[in-house]
Amino acid sequence: MANSKKYWAALDELEGTEVFQKLQKKEFQEQIPVDEFLADERHGATTTGRRDFLKFMGFSLAAATLTACETPVIKSIPYINKPAEVTPGVANHYASTYYDGLDYISIMVKTREGRPIFVMGNSKTGLGKANARVIGSVVSLYDQARLDGPRQKEKSISWEALDSKMLSAIAETGRKVILTNTILSPSTQKAIDAMGFEQVQYDPISYMALRETHSTYFGVNAIPSYDFSKAEVIVSISADFLSSWLTSTNIECDYSAMKSPERGTQSKHFQFETTMSQTGTNADVRTMIKPSDEGNVVAGILAAINGSSIKNLDNVTTKRVQQAAKSLQKSKGQSIVLAGSNDIATQTIVASINQALGNYGETINLEKPSRSFQGNDTNVADLIADMNAGKLSLLVTYGCNPSYDLPNAAAFNEGIKKVKTSVCMNGIADETAIRSTYIAPDHHYLESWNDLSLTSGRIDLVQPTIEPLFSTRAAQESFLIWSGFEITDWYTFLRMQYNVNYSEDALYSDSTWNGAVHDGTFAIAEQLETPNYAAFIDISNALAEVSNRKGGAMQLATYVKGAIGVGQHAANPFLQETPDPVSKVTWDNYVMMSRVDMDAMGLNTYIAQENPASVVKVTSGKHTVTLPAFMQPGQKPGTVSIALGYGRGSEGEKIGNAAYQTGEKGQHIMLDSGKPMPIGANAFPFTSQDNYDITIEPTGTEYPLASTQLHSTYMGRESVVKETNLSAYLAESKKKKGTASWNKAPALNVHEDLNRDGVIDSRDKKPVAEFDLWNSHAVEEVGHRWGMTIDLTTCTGCSSCVTACHIENNVSVVGKDEVLRHRDMHWMRIDRYYASDFSLEKGEEEGVGVIESYSRMEDPSENPQTVHMPMMCQHCNHAPCETVCPVAATTHSNEGLNQMTYNRCIGTRYCANNCPYKVRRFNWFNYKGHSKFENVNPAHDSLARLVLNPDVTVRARGVMEKCSLCVQRIQSAKLDAKKKQVKLTDDLISCACSDACAAGAIKFGDLNDKDSAVYKQSHNNRSYHALDEIGVKPNIFYLTKVRNVDSNEA
Amino acid sequence: MQKESAIREPLILGHKTYKDITDDVVGPIMEPASLGWKILITISSIIAIYGIGSILYLISTGIGVWGLNKTVGWAWDITNFVWWVGIGHAGTLISAVLLLFRQKWRMAINRSAEAMTIFAVIMAAVFPGIHMGRIWLAYYVFPLPNQFGSLWVNFNSPLLWDVFAISTYFSVSLVFWYVGLIPDFATIRDRVTKPFAKKMYGIMSFGWSGRAKHWNRFEELSLVLAGIATPLVFSVHSIVSMDFATSVIPGWHTTIFPPYFVSGAVFSGFAMVQTLLLVMRKAYKLEDYIHVKHVEYMNIVIIVTGSIVGVAYLTELFISWYSGVEYESYAFINRFSGPYKAAYWTMMTCNVISPQLFWFKKIRRSLVATFILSIVVNIGMWFERYVIIVTSLHRDYLPSSWGEFIPTATDVGIFIGTLGIFLTLFLTFTRFFPVLALNELKTILKSSGESYKNEQVK
Repeated sequence: MANSKKYWAALDELEGTEVFQKLQKKEFQEQIPVDEFLADERHGATTTGRRDFLKFMGFSLAAATLTACETPVIKSIPYINKPAEVTPGVANHYASTYYDGLDYISIMVKTREGRPIFVMGNSKTGLGKANARVIGSVVSLYDQARLDGPRQKEKSISWEALDSKMLSAIAETGRKVILTNTILSPSTQKAIDAMGFEQVQYDPISYMALRETHSTYFGVNAIPSYDFSKAEVIVSISADFLSSWLTSTNIECDYSAMKSPERGTQSKHFQFETTMSQTGTNADVRTMIKPSDEGNVVAGILAAINGSSIKNLDNVTTKRVQQAAKSLQKSKGQSIVLAGSNDIATQTIVASINQALGNYGETINLEKPSRSFQGNDTNVADLIADMNAGKLSLLVTYGCNPSYDLPNAAAFNEGIKKVKTSVCMNGIADETAIRSTYIAPDHHYLESWNDLSLTSGRIDLVQPTIEPLFSTRAAQESFLIWSGFEITDWYTFLRMQYNVNYSEDALYSDSTWNGAVHDGTFAIAEQLETPNYAAFIDISNALAEVSNRKGGAMQLATYVKGAIGVGQHAANPFLQETPDPVSKVTWDNYVMMSRVDMDAMGLNTYIAQENPASVVKVTSGKHTVTLPAFMQPGQKPGTVSIALGYGRGSEGEKIGNAAYQTGEKGQHIMLDSGKPMPIGANAFPFTSQDNYDITIEPTGTEYPLASTQLHSTYMGRESVVKETNLSAYLAESKKKKGTASWNKAPALNVHEDLNRDGVIDSRDKKPVAEFDLWNSHAVEEVGHRWGMTIDLTTCTGCSSCVTACHIENNVSVVGKDEVLRHRDMHWMRIDRYYASDFSLEKGEEEGVGVIESYSRMEDPSENPQTVHMPMMCQHCNHAPCETVCPVAATTHSNEGLNQMTYNRCIGTRYCANNCPYKVRRFNWFNYKGHSKFENVNPAHDSLARLVLNPDVTVRARGVMEKCSLCVQRIQSAKLDAKKKQVKLTDDLISCACSDACAAGAIKFGDLNDKDSAVYKQSHNNRSYHALDEIGVKPNIFYLTKVRNVDSNEA
Repeated sequence: MQKESAIREPLILGHKTYKDITDDVVGPIMEPASLGWKILITISSIIAIYGIGSILYLISTGIGVWGLNKTVGWAWDITNFVWWVGIGHAGTLISAVLLLFRQKWRMAINRSAEAMTIFAVIMAAVFPGIHMGRIWLAYYVFPLPNQFGSLWVNFNSPLLWDVFAISTYFSVSLVFWYVGLIPDFATIRDRVTKPFAKKMYGIMSFGWSGRAKHWNRFEELSLVLAGIATPLVFSVHSIVSMDFATSVIPGWHTTIFPPYFVSGAVFSGFAMVQTLLLVMRKAYKLEDYIHVKHVEYMNIVIIVTGSIVGVAYLTELFISWYSGVEYESYAFINRFSGPYKAAYWTMMTCNVISPQLFWFKKIRRSLVATFILSIVVNIGMWFERYVIIVTSLHRDYLPSSWGEFIPTATDVGIFIGTLGIFLTLFLTFTRFFPVLALNELKTILKSSGESYKNEQVK
């Protein structure tokens, strides 16, 4: 349209005459008088004397030396033949699906120049809320530890050799088993079935009790689908459903929507648990219980609903159980009761409660149940017994790591020695792989095709986003070859499942398939299950069982951390460095204990650089772990909690450099056994025990724990965190912004009679916003003005934003020792504050001095309320950092961004000191080159470096950095909108953090666009600026936290 | 010629003649170096080399070798900077301000005090340089024309004001000091016999011939330079204090800082002069020129400035409570009761309580007590800066970011190293430079010399 015009310099050019064409080929169209110049004798007269020569040489040497001080520039080579779909500098996105046995998420993979660099949720499929684990998983594609081909023990062999050996192994007699995690792919299942082996499935976190309960009573052998978008009351007994229970991110999305007070009410969440879980930190009412009491609590709830008396519980718990039951009764059919326990008695009672409340068919659905977690613990036990009896001739392990994550892994490891031939399909020589006869490495999920089906009626597709980096082979292809199936090409096999007439020339012509690949999902017709929701549930045995359960004085609960999962991400430096959402500890596993217990044992409760944790020894039955103790507010006294997923590679397996603990110089810490020290210890063996009892004893040794946050309470600083409860909110929910009692805009006294009452006194106050030392930047109503709103009510603290920001912006991973020195580089962090029992007012009442009051305010309550506050650069319009930089390296953009010019920065750190939010991060070392970081920082590794985002500079040593509000995304969205000639609206632009936020708490957009979500949110009467009274005028708004809690429940 | 009351204590003791003064000052320069001097310079050079090594390690590896972190971005670096700048205040104050006030007692101490100033400012200048993450781009702080057109320095930044303040102060002090040295260099030139030394002193004395015209110009120039230097004495540390005062950090954001810093600087500067002179007068047998009266005068300055500093501390505490700002009040409560309370109470004891001992005449006139207290004061003043910088930063607005600062060996090494470099420079100065302004001293010999006074009394 616009390009039909032609500009020309001369008529000859327009007409394209011969003379013009001839001249055009010459670089210099006129004759250059070279000969005349050289012949000029005057030039010969000038001489360069010896002194001049030395002067020039000296100057050149000095100049050369000076230039050498600059960071070297590495030039890259452009494409010789450019692939049609790849434009350098333009990202391609591919829809795919992530499934690893724990997480199931529709994803969108961002690739640049053919390499995947970022994984985000694909929100269009309805299952597309990515969590930290999935976002971080992109790094594992470039793991140096990945195998480059099949192995026989440690020896490399060819695929042909492996296949022939396998075929002869299959020909032998004996029990042949394939051990897998829950297979959700119908086509993969067919490929497995083609081999004709017996299949045993297991899940590292077993949900067998939940599934069996529904099988026994409702006739559907599956995990129900939970619909949190209808749940007004949620009662969870030790289920960490916002972090690791079932499809947690999608639950988080619905859960947060129900938390929003703007809908006139809020869901109410009761949590009964041992461990302070991420879910527990979000609960309105949280009660600490011992693991042995889980059954009694559910029995109590049932009793309270039925109006009978509650037994076997202490007073506090009884009161809370009654409150929970009361709330549940008010919300029949609109509530969910769930238990994390893998105990049939407990799950039976829970099912009975939900049935009594009429939740089945409403919030809990068995017509379209979840197909996940079909693992069968009994079959696994049987398999291990057979292995040890030498009855197995062949064992194939696929998609799982039983040598590590089975509760009785030791027995498995003994047994596998007696299996004649064992094959592991894992891509890394992990615990199981090194114990197998052969390793047949599968592709990474970003290199493979697959189909997945979590619930009936839909298939989600996995598509490759890069050619396989190594000589790996799709496991399904191996299965097909080993089964002697006529079609051995996995892709053809997969296509034929959906189109029997598929042939290779239909590669691009099948538009239905192409559409499905594009969307990442498609619907299929499948019959619904027909559960009998009214079935009679016999709970008498279950009640008797739980009431007889007696726990010891010290009990143990295991849990799963938001970033590490069940250990599959142990070698992922980004996820190891993502602080745990609750404890904020990185790079470690620890024993969470209550303050009371720690004080009684004389353990150190304050952890900092020079205050290492005390190490304790926890023993249960035969299993013992030695781990540092961490004081966790909210931990039930008399219990300890240990995370699963740690202690990977304890035999020194090559599972990745980042999987091992590093020391002060960045070297791997070596144990006395000569093996590198794994991070934490494996707690899976604890999950097998029938009781929860443990013994714990201090070892007298100390061990440093690296936490990103050393102080846990907000010290009554209400201009940082504002919170209220639902009834107070509703009473003033119609008030104008800044006037409600729970969100008063700060005002300062002035020496003028503002209220015209004739006297100048403390009632003459002017809002802080009206004080102005400087001329304002013209940002309001002019062009774009980027801003962000963060809802503290809906934020669950899951930390997927932290990981997303970390990867998107090439933020350096710095390792444990640097985190310990309080030098983590996160541009975005989540401040987690606990409530304290103490306040200055209380101090005054009790006659405690101010100093003592402040020191008591540093201690969180025993079972505190929690606030998660995402914190990043606030992009202040009156930024204190900008005025103090001597070289103007940090300046304000005319779109409201506070921007860093890395090239100009000389690293005085004045800006960071003057930042009230302490969000600026300094490059203390050359992270991409210093040997201290070679085991943790992906930029050190020629392969892992490929994950770096080419749109974002990797910062040099000595430079300050901070959140840029993903300026590279803003730029690219602006360009796209310009090219498409459309207005740049919300849906076209996002930051890595807002994109990753499953809860929808973080919103990013243009504050000058009246239709944008951020504009509306920033004018919401809950919105405020953190530290408003210092007048820095941020572009980031927070929304007051509203809890659905009455004063008598707190 | 000026008259002075006969009962006023004389400034030059003993029966000195003009020649005696010259002999006393130039003598040590012409003699071979003493053993004590050799031992001292060896020790100080070793420390200096260790410090330089630490600095090179810092520059080659990164600021991470210090103990700083995301919360505390400045600690020993800027503490040392402010401490050294503060010490560098006494010299110019003595030579310029006291010159304008016609305080004759300054003549015995101004030369070495000024030398100390120059060296202290050099040491101070090291820290803003090496504290930069990218020192190789340090020239960015100068408003140099460049190919980027409008890329210019940020004149709003107090750190940039520092650049100008320190460089101006340094150059003016250097010129002032050197101008004073010219007639003395000429005296040495006329005395020394070794040809090389004679040549060097000849060059350094700029052809001074002692003509009346020279003296006239000398006096005028001194007066002009004193006029220029006097405001600098106040501006430098005021501007340094603005690094903190203009910020938003509770504990830094304080309007009292400029006068408080200036008096603190004079306080620490005089203490350092005491420390050095009490040793030097002994080593170079200058007891007749720098005697108890001089020490007493300086101790009086220390009481006055120390008391101002003490009042400032208390004012800060009062205002933190009176302002009603929770962050401000917490910052100060945390100072004296938080993790760094030891530093705070060290500062309070050394800076507020210890100088009050000088109210006792006996202590004020005791050389040993003065020597000890002068060191105590400088320890206190170092802690003052440490308290202001570290305790304000380590717990500011958001409790989530609260942290602690723990120094590393490199932090300590560089600080000790600058002490070594400073001492090396000062020892070199005492060896080759006239340590007293001998020509100036001669002007007061007749009016304030002990023997002349005695004659008057008779």
